Amino acid sequence: MARNGARWWRHVAALLPLVLVTAGCGGGSDGGGGSDGTAAGVTVAQPPGKPVAGGELTYGIRSDGTGFDTTSPLLPGSQEVVGPMNDPLVAIDENNDWAPNLAAGLAPNSDFTEWTITLRPDVRFHDGAPVDAAAVVANLDAFRASPSVGYALAPVKSVTAVDELTVSVAMSAPWAAFPYYLSGQPGYLVSPGTIGTNDDFVGVGPFVLDRWVPGDSVRMVRNDDYWRGDEGFPYLDAITMKVIPEQEGRRQAFAAGDIQAYSNPGSSTILDFLADPKVRVDRSSGGSLEMVVTLNTAKPPLDDVRVRRALVKAVNRKIVVESLRSGLTEPADSFIDPTSEFSIDAGYPDYDPKGAADLIAEYEKAVGPVELTLLATNTDGMRDTAEVLATFWKEAGVDVKIKEVAPGAQISPVINDDFDAVLWAQFGGVDPDNDYVFFHSSGGALNWSNLESTELDEGLDLGRSTDDPKIRAEGYAMVQRVLAEEVPMIWIDHLAPVQAVVSAPSIGGIVPGTLPDGSTRLGLTNGAQFSWEDVWIAR
Amino acid sequence: MRNVGRLVLRLAFVVFVVSLLSFWLLDAAPGDPATARVGVNATPEVVAEARAELGLDDPFLVRYARWAGDVLHGDLGESYRTPGTTTWSLLATALPNTVLLLVYAQILALAIAVPLAVTAARRPGSRWDRTTSAVAFGFFALPTFVLGVYLSYFLAVRWGLLPAVATDLPGVFEDPVENVRQLALPSLTLGLTLVAVYLRLLRSDLISTLQQDYILLARARGLSDRRILWRHALRPSSMTLLTAVGLNTGALIGGAVIIEVLFAINGMGRLTVNAVFASDYPVVQGAVLLFSLAFVLANFVVDVLYVAIDPRVRR
Repeated sequence: MARNGARWWRHVAALLPLVLVTAGCGGGSDGGGGSDGTAAGVTVAQPPGKPVAGGELTYGIRSDGTGFDTTSPLLPGSQEVVGPMNDPLVAIDENNDWAPNLAAGLAPNSDFTEWTITLRPDVRFHDGAPVDAAAVVANLDAFRASPSVGYALAPVKSVTAVDELTVSVAMSAPWAAFPYYLSGQPGYLVSPGTIGTNDDFVGVGPFVLDRWVPGDSVRMVRNDDYWRGDEGFPYLDAITMKVIPEQEGRRQAFAAGDIQAYSNPGSSTILDFLADPKVRVDRSSGGSLEMVVTLNTAKPPLDDVRVRRALVKAVNRKIVVESLRSGLTEPADSFIDPTSEFSIDAGYPDYDPKGAADLIAEYEKAVGPVELTLLATNTDGMRDTAEVLATFWKEAGVDVKIKEVAPGAQISPVINDDFDAVLWAQFGGVDPDNDYVFFHSSGGALNWSNLESTELDEGLDLGRSTDDPKIRAEGYAMVQRVLAEEVPMIWIDHLAPVQAVVSAPSIGGIVPGTLPDGSTRLGLTNGAQFSWEDVWIAR
Repeated sequence: MRNVGRLVLRLAFVVFVVSLLSFWLLDAAPGDPATARVGVNATPEVVAEARAELGLDDPFLVRYARWAGDVLHGDLGESYRTPGTTTWSLLATALPNTVLLLVYAQILALAIAVPLAVTAARRPGSRWDRTTSAVAFGFFALPTFVLGVYLSYFLAVRWGLLPAVATDLPGVFEDPVENVRQLALPSLTLGLTLVAVYLRLLRSDLISTLQQDYILLARARGLSDRRILWRHALRPSSMTLLTAVGLNTGALIGGAVIIEVLFAINGMGRLTVNAVFASDYPVVQGAVLLFSLAFVLANFVVDVLYVAIDPRVRR
C-alpha cells in the first residue's frame, strides 16, 4: 500500500492543528466532484486482467449519515452508505443523459404530462418481495406524501399500476426531466413492507445490509440473488464502510493498509496522490456542486440589489480557488455545470473591488451602513472560505460578522428566514431541473434566497417542459441571466474536481461502471458515488 | 455500613446534579433538535410538528422530569439523529469499547510507571532517575492527539506493527487477541500521558517510605533492597497513586474523546461528540449520565480500595 515516508511526515505535521480543532466535527466540505483516474500527474491504470470475484473491501467514509429512510432527506453520508444496497430506477450515462437502470424503460406521452415506467421481470428485493408495479407505486406515493422530501415530486398528480410490470405517472404540467429525478432519492426502491424504516435498507442493490453500527461502520454482504447476477455482479463478497471523520485520519488509515480505498480525500491530498504512481485517484465526473453564499433578498440590506452586486464584485474567486482548493476547482458563475450545454456567459459580475466600494458607498449615502452576518459551519473548508469572503467584503466597506454554527445548524435559520447570508455547498444535480425548487417562487421555504421573479419562474418552467435542447437552453439562459442580474447567490467555485475516491492500485472498477444495456455509466456522481457491483480486487 | 450508605447517597446526589446541569446546558446550546430530526429540507411547519412531537415546547423542568422518569424506568429515549435506534443500543455498543480503552490505558500506564518508580526511588537523583523522569514528562507534555499522530505514524504507517484505526473491533470475549491488537495503539497513547504522573507520585511516596524506621529495621535484618522495595515499601506508598488513578478516570474520559476520534473507535467519546454536533439530545444526555456514573463509581471503588490497602482507614 501507499507508504511514502517523506510525504507522510508532512501530513503528520499537518494533522496536528487539524485534530485539535475537530475532535469529531465531521470534516469540512472543501470539495465538490470531476474526472477519472487521470490527472495532471500520473495515470494509474486499472488492475490488469479480467475482474475476479471474491474479497472484502474496507472503505473509509467521512460520515454514515443518519439512516436509510427513503421518505426522509438522505444526507450525503446516508447516500454513500445506501449506494451498494441500492439500484435506482434510472441511472446517468457517460453523456450526462438519463438511462433505464432498474426500470427496463421509461416513455413519455407527447407532451410529457404522463410517463410510463416499465419494470423488469423476476427482480426481487433483498427480503424476497417482488419488484413490481405495486412496489413502485407504494414507494413513489410514500415519497410524495413525505413533508420533508415530497416537494421534489410536486408536479406528480398520480401514480398508478397499469399491470404487474407497468406504472403510469401522471403530471399536473409537462415534465420532460422527470427521469433525472428517478436517478436520485425519488427513484430509490425499498421493499414495500419496510418503507419508512430508518435502521434497515431492504433494497434491490448488489449488497445486503449485514450490520450497521451508527456513527462507526456499516457492513454489507454480497446479494446472491442480485438481478444482474448473470453478468457476474457483484464481484466483492463484502464491503465494510468505516467512518473516519477526518481527512488525514482516512489518509493515515489508507497508508497503514487498514482501509483499501476512501472518499473525500481533500484537495491537498488529491494533489499529492495525483503524482503518486502507487495510488489511484478517481475524481467526480458529473453534477455540479457549488460553494455558494445564499443571500436573503427579503431582508435589508440585502433586499437592495446594489448591495448584492457589490458583494459579488468584491470577491476574487480565483484567490479562493488558488489558496483554499489548491487550484483544482474552477470559479463558478452559476449553479449549472460549466461543461453543460446549458451553461452560458450570462454576465455574472466580475471581480471589481472599486465597483464594489462605489456601490456600497452609494447605498450608505442613501440608506445607511451595510452590516451583515455570514452564517457558516465550523468545519475547516467552510471556516476558511468564510474568513476570506469577509476580508473581501470588509475591504469594500461592509461590516461583516461571521457566525459559526455546527454542521446542519445553519438550516433552521435559513428556512425560517432568520439570516442575512449563508455559506454552504449546494445543488449538484446532473440536470439543471434537479434544482428547480430552490429557485422557483413556488419553492416556498426552499426558495432560500426568497427571490421571486416572473422571468426566473418562466425560465425554470420552460426548462422542464420539454426535452428539446434548444428550448431548454433558452429557458436556462433566462434563469442564468436573472441570477446574474439579481445575484441572490454569490457563486464561489464548482467543487466537482475535489470530490474524489482514493484507492489502492489493486482495486478495479470504481470507474467506469456499466449500465444494464452495456453502455458506460457516468463516473463518480452526486459527490463521489459509484456503482459498487463493478468493483473488484486483483489478486 | 453507614458510611457506605452515606457515600451512595452522596454519589446519587452528584449524578442528579450533573444530569440536571447537563440538561440545562444542552437546552441553552445552539442547534435545533427538531431540525436535526426532520432534516435539511423541512418546512417550518414540519419543524414545528417535530418540536411538538418531541415535547420540545414544554417547560424545561417538565422535560427534565419526563426524561428522568423515563431513565428510572430504563428508557433513555430514541436517538433524534438516527430515528429507529434507541439511545441505549448506541450506548451499549460504545460503552464496552471505552471501558476497555480506559482499562487498557490504566494497565499500561501502571505497568510502565510502577517498575520505573520503584527503580528510580532506589537511587534518587541517579542518572536513571533523571532520565526516566525526563522521558515520562516528555510524554506528559505532549497532548494526546499529538502523541497519537506520531505513534500512529511509526507503529502503524511506517512499521506496520499495529492498525492505525480500529476498522472492525471485535468484542473482548469474541476475539480477545484482535481486540487488544486494535486497541493497543490508542491505549498506549492514552496510557503514556499518565506515566509521568504515576511515576512521580509513587517515586516520591516510595522515597518518603524508605525513610521510615521499619525500613531501616528491615535493612538491618539484611533484607535485600529489591525485597524491601517490592514487599515492604510499595504497598504503603500506593495510597496517593491509587487516588490519582481514580481521579484520572475523569481526565481519561476527556482524553478518550480525542483518542476515539483519532483512532476511529466506536466509543462513548466519539458517540458523544457526534451527538453534540447533531443536537441529538437523548444520546448526549444518556452519555453524560453514564460518564458521571462512571466517574463517581471509579472514585467509589478507590475509596473502598483505600480500606483494603490500608487498615488504618477503617478506623
